[in-house]
Amino acid sequence: MIEPGKASHRSSRVLYYLPMTLRTLTLVFAFSLIALTALTVAYLSNTEPAEVGDVASVEALLEQPEASTTSTIPSPTTDPPPPTDEDAVRPPKVSVWSGLLADTDPEQAVVPTRLTMTSIDVEAPIISTGVNTTTGQMAVPGNVTDVAWYQYGPRPGEDGSAVLAAHVDLAGQGPGVFFRLRELDPGAIVEIEFSDGSTRRFRIEARTIYDKQELPLDTIFSREGSPVLTLITCGGSFSESSRHYDSNVVVYAVPVQLPEPGPRL
Amino acid sequence: MRNLGRIFIVALLLLALPAGAAFAQTSDGTVTVLHGIPGDGGFPVDIYVNGDYSAPFIPGLTFAEFAGPVTLPAADYSIEIYGAGADPASTDPALGPLVVTLPAGANATIEAHLDASGAPTASVFVNDISEIAAGNTRLTVRHTAAAPTVDVLANDGVLFSALSNPNEASGDVPAATYNAKVVPTGATDPVVFEADLALAEGTSTIVYAIGSLDGGSFTVAVQTISGLGATPAGVPTGTAGLATESFPIALALTGALALVALAGSGVALARKSSN
Repeated sequence: MIEPGKASHRSSRVLYYLPMTLRTLTLVFAFSLIALTALTVAYLSNTEPAEVGDVASVEALLEQPEASTTSTIPSPTTDPPPPTDEDAVRPPKVSVWSGLLADTDPEQAVVPTRLTMTSIDVEAPIISTGVNTTTGQMAVPGNVTDVAWYQYGPRPGEDGSAVLAAHVDLAGQGPGVFFRLRELDPGAIVEIEFSDGSTRRFRIEARTIYDKQELPLDTIFSREGSPVLTLITCGGSFSESSRHYDSNVVVYAVPVQLPEPGPRL
Repeated sequence: MRNLGRIFIVALLLLALPAGAAFAQTSDGTVTVLHGIPGDGGFPVDIYVNGDYSAPFIPGLTFAEFAGPVTLPAADYSIEIYGAGADPASTDPALGPLVVTLPAGANATIEAHLDASGAPTASVFVNDISEIAAGNTRLTVRHTAAAPTVDVLANDGVLFSALSNPNEASGDVPAATYNAKVVPTGATDPVVFEADLALAEGTSTIVYAIGSLDGGSFTVAVQTISGLGATPAGVPTGTAGLATESFPIALALTGALALVALAGSGVALARKSSN
């Protein structure tokens, strides 16, 4: 004769020997449920989402406008010659310029000198840097207090991506000036001061995090496209053995346009 | 999905690339013209191409002036140079006709200049527009002057040696401002030319020695081609690990403990209530 429920008979007997009352079990269950919920909330509130804002549309601003009918390869450009007095009488199709050094005075270089981001309490000097010739990477300051501007790319506000990079932290020096870059949200304002005393304001559009192997270098260092200010630091997970982060936090900002004259009230 | 989209775009680019490259390499070349022959009042000239005398291709170009760049089909071109305003139908050209070849896909500079002995001639130089490593600049020096063999010094070190008309020397160097000197080969004086050259990153700077050393017209003309720079290899910005976003170990242990307790008590509860 087959008794229904006999299959569970053995486990029921095991449970019978457990010194737990129904009340205790209910309490443990409830407490562990509450603890798990609390932990999840704590973790989520501590972790910034990987991507905020429309990253793709900002990066599209840096796409190089190609003449699609001729070639998909970006073609180098010969520098536009300075205008000459005779321009008016020459046919427009061939421009003419003097090659003499005296006639090719380089323009006075205006460089960014100071960065202010009040929403994350950052006010820091900007230094001009280039490339670390050993690693081929962008040269960054040896301290955690300076912000580096990649001087071979556009200036902030010029066409293309102007790159500002700074440390998230440095061993022995602690948190860096861009420690809180991963908290910078769309809408926040970035102000940059230049060596000629002028300032320009930018508005954060998007923030994302890239694995360093997948960092879109051609986009981030693009010298063409609409003006974009690109702020970069390190992030993601940290390798104790190599003493490096595996990712880059990238924040994109665009120039703040002067407000249109509004309707009179 | 995003990765799929990227793969698709890459595949499209790979398909498009050979077509674009083939087009660029088989049809056109880019040409810049340099006037490097000294003369009275800068020796203004009209330049005619392929016997088309209806209008000068480049009118009124003077010594040390560039014209261009223009994009032309790769081919042989016949070039005639007349004194500015001269009638090409009734007078002889000051120089030419010279047949020059524009290679397919090339960025070239056609230069009318003096040979080492001071006679007018013309040369076609193909400009190196290959990518320049991030942080570097490309300097090319072309000897097209009536002058002996020279060395080019950069910050008083020999950069290019034994350069003679009509040859060129080229190299990629870190972007910076260099003090450049031109001296007779193997010597350090007399300095026949000296200038500080600000060589921009990612830019090819081509310096043409032109004119006549004995005639007192020796100088340089400078052409730049920008947009050749590569991008840096990365952005290293942290070595302390303070901003790591990995799950804290204490938090993880507590969570695991809570999860075990939840599962155990849940199972036990179910058994109790079923009895």
